[in-house]
Amino acid sequence: MSGFLVYVARRFVQFVLVAFTGVTLAFLIVHLSPVNPVDQTVSLMTTFGATDPASVAMLRSALSELYGVNGSLAHQYIAFWSRVATGDFGPSLSAFPTPVLTVILRAIPWTIGLLTLSTLFAWTFGNVLGALAGYYRDSRLLKLAGIVVTAVQPMPTYICGLTLIILFGYTWPIFPISGGTQMNLSPGLTWSFVGSVVTHGALPALTLVLVSLGAWFNSMRSLVSNVVTEDHVVYAELAGVPSRTIFASYVARNAMLPQITGLALSLGHVFSGAVIVEFLFAYPGMGQLLIAGINAGDYSLVLGVTTISIIAVGFATFLIDIAYPLIDPRVKLG
Amino acid sequence: MRMHRGLMLALALVCTAQVAAAQDFIAGIPRSEALIIQGAPSQNADWFNVWAAGGGANTNGLQQLSTDTLWFINPEGGPNAWQNALATDKPAYDADFTTMTVKLRPGIYWSDGVELTGDDLVYTVQTQIDHPGMGWSAPFALNVASMEQPDKYTVVFHLKAPNSRFHTLFTVRWNAAWIMPKHVFEKVGDPLKFDNNPPVSLGPYVLNSYDKSGNWAIWKLRDDWQRTSLGMDLGEPAVKYVVYRVAGSPDARVIDQRNHNLDVINDLAPEGMFALMRDPKSTSTAWRKTFPFAHPDPTLPAVLFNTMAKPFDNPDVRWALALAIDIRAVAMGSYRGAADVSALAYPPTGAASDDYFRPLQAWLSEFELDTGKRKIKPYDPTIATQLANMVRPSWGNQIPADPAQLQTMFGFGWWKHDPQAAAELLEKAGFTKRGNSWLKPDGTPFAFKLMVEGDAIPTLARAGIEIAQEWSQMGIAVKVEVAGTTLRQRLNVGDFDMAIFWTIETWGGHPDLSFFLDSYDSRFIVPLGQNQPPRNLQRWRDPELDRIIHANQSVSFDNPQVVELGRDFLKLAVREMPMIPLMAYNKFAPFDTTYWTGYPSVEDPYSASGPYWSNIRYMIARLKPNPTAPKS
Repeated sequence: MSGFLVYVARRFVQFVLVAFTGVTLAFLIVHLSPVNPVDQTVSLMTTFGATDPASVAMLRSALSELYGVNGSLAHQYIAFWSRVATGDFGPSLSAFPTPVLTVILRAIPWTIGLLTLSTLFAWTFGNVLGALAGYYRDSRLLKLAGIVVTAVQPMPTYICGLTLIILFGYTWPIFPISGGTQMNLSPGLTWSFVGSVVTHGALPALTLVLVSLGAWFNSMRSLVSNVVTEDHVVYAELAGVPSRTIFASYVARNAMLPQITGLALSLGHVFSGAVIVEFLFAYPGMGQLLIAGINAGDYSLVLGVTTISIIAVGFATFLIDIAYPLIDPRVKLG
Repeated sequence: MRMHRGLMLALALVCTAQVAAAQDFIAGIPRSEALIIQGAPSQNADWFNVWAAGGGANTNGLQQLSTDTLWFINPEGGPNAWQNALATDKPAYDADFTTMTVKLRPGIYWSDGVELTGDDLVYTVQTQIDHPGMGWSAPFALNVASMEQPDKYTVVFHLKAPNSRFHTLFTVRWNAAWIMPKHVFEKVGDPLKFDNNPPVSLGPYVLNSYDKSGNWAIWKLRDDWQRTSLGMDLGEPAVKYVVYRVAGSPDARVIDQRNHNLDVINDLAPEGMFALMRDPKSTSTAWRKTFPFAHPDPTLPAVLFNTMAKPFDNPDVRWALALAIDIRAVAMGSYRGAADVSALAYPPTGAASDDYFRPLQAWLSEFELDTGKRKIKPYDPTIATQLANMVRPSWGNQIPADPAQLQTMFGFGWWKHDPQAAAELLEKAGFTKRGNSWLKPDGTPFAFKLMVEGDAIPTLARAGIEIAQEWSQMGIAVKVEVAGTTLRQRLNVGDFDMAIFWTIETWGGHPDLSFFLDSYDSRFIVPLGQNQPPRNLQRWRDPELDRIIHANQSVSFDNPQVVELGRDFLKLAVREMPMIPLMAYNKFAPFDTTYWTGYPSVEDPYSASGPYWSNIRYMIARLKPNPTAPKS
């Protein structure tokens, strides 16, 4: 037990170091970007309106003061960490003065809902199908499934999404093609709202599932193809153990371990959003937020999103690290 | 058992989805009463304070429907282009433009029942002077010395210095200084941190509901619409609800309009527009019902020179590059031929044809350029006909034969594509040619980058690529550089050789050039590396330009001399070529007629129609329901 606690403590320190390094790098990259939020706001305000150059100069100065972008990089870095420690990323510069956390918390439920469900579905379905295809190698149906899934896999997300929009939004218009819910609907646990969320999320989710299914399928099929040749499987077959039992308990279970790691990492990436899918379907998630923040030079918002993503991925890895010894007793803690 | 549970769950989900699928497009609102307009995502969805800099979306209906100010100018021109909104009449200046008097209309009320008076106007100006960082703080602080109110509806502005264009702060082209509700904001500690949610409206619509994720906002017609300037002038709008919604990718917008879920699209690529308009079953219409379909915005995309950087400080070099461009190829490559070209530094829209283009045709045709070896007349007035002939095989009888009609579609003319004259001009400037490559006077290769924004404005990116190809064929080493979101900042600090962007924006409906020209005064030019205030991003300096600007400022907005001075500017811009004008910014903005009819068009240009333009309210007020619309 003490060995396990030491192992957990080491992994936790590693997680903290990784998160700190990642967030620091993100801070530097964002602040070294040539896109200046004050200039972006000034551009927005003066692009279509009449502009008196003297007014523009005054406005630029006032906004710099307001946005708190004056001060050295070091000063801003220290101020950033002192705020993050209390969960405060400061005000969004493109949605001033709304706090970054408020903006992110609006988008997170959509991203978590869409990506978690579609990731879990693609993982489950892909692994089950891949395991079956790897074990029952002579099945024509499974071979066909493999061909279809592998054919769809290299399709770019944008093309896949667009195809679904045309098929189910235009040719056979049964699903909405943009937005998170029906307009003017009050959020709540009602059939209308839940149904609206489901229908609006159907095409984005299907896009994500289709483009990721192939990877899980092929990797699981390869893993199973290796495991079936191992001694313990051959022995079980020779001993007359039912093939269903061999498949479930001897083959799939052993092949599953790397896929669990992959799942944890995929779930960690959920927080960064699916940029292309969210743009295509105007889905109000973190991906759209990140793109909007980058375009507006809103480094507070970009930092907020990337910080959460870095911590989420790091934490997911940490959880897998500590869960592995429990799942696979062959893993040594030393 | 597990399978049964799984099946039950799947069935429940399907039933839920079917229930949802059978719902109205907008919950609780009849589709036939709603006009659905393409909006943009708002990160600040809860924020309705349009006066706070950077806060309050202006693409969700806030500035289009709920605000109001003193005057509007219809960018399409026409005899009624000027609109008195909250003011009873045009601004009244004294002889030296140091005082401006405004009389407000009586009987106009905020949506919470409080009457609009001069107190609101004074409060709007004073508050923004007292709180730097608000949207109009700077121009008010720079201009206004004091204000007085002789009566409840009259405000007299005393200016710090003569300014014949002070009223333009309150005159809408796209937006203007909106009037603040004094009775709301005076209770607020810091107007910069006040969300103004829900907003009190001065315009005809009030906020009905909105999406906290910023994807839609719904505005409802006020019960007391007749107590607004729009209601007084045009009567009760038939549109009861206006919905601004995010509509996804350009492809999704086209599909949504085909499914009758999006009445007004802001902008599409030419191909998307053509797909909609070519479909015989389509219920879409546009500014033009036939090719080129597009609406020309009063904005002029051009090739900007960094005139502070050698060799672009030499007009001969600038002219050489202009003559090396084949505008027909650029029009075909960027807009698939649906381009309204302009040789003048002015967008060919609105009142411009009558004020500038037609009167200057003779001058342009006679204009001579000295290439160093000969004198040429570079203007080609037949470009419109040539473009028409290029697109006629694809569009057939949609392309008329009448030259006058073609001019309104494709422009009045442009410079002849003359690589020989371009070469002579480069030689005149001291350039030499080695093989197929041009060398600058110092012997180094003539190489530079042409900056474009990229995917955000694909038509101009395509134009840039086409132009770069033509220059390359002539032996100039040019690369296209996609600047993306850094474009404006790089333009501001002069970090570019040449760029495709626009630095000329006009009223459209009024010939006065001050909207952009005042910013071209040489006193505002700053060294490279510092932020050049818009719009003279090419940092063009010329004593004659200053003379024109100052002369224009010394006469009133409606003085006929304004047109003469405008023509002087355009002739100067031709001679000096500080930018190569290309074309109007043509916008492909289709309207669906399934539920609403009466959209503005080239035949009836009664209003602007751009979703983000504040004057779209005048379009909304005149739309009529389609009697054949499906019942909902």
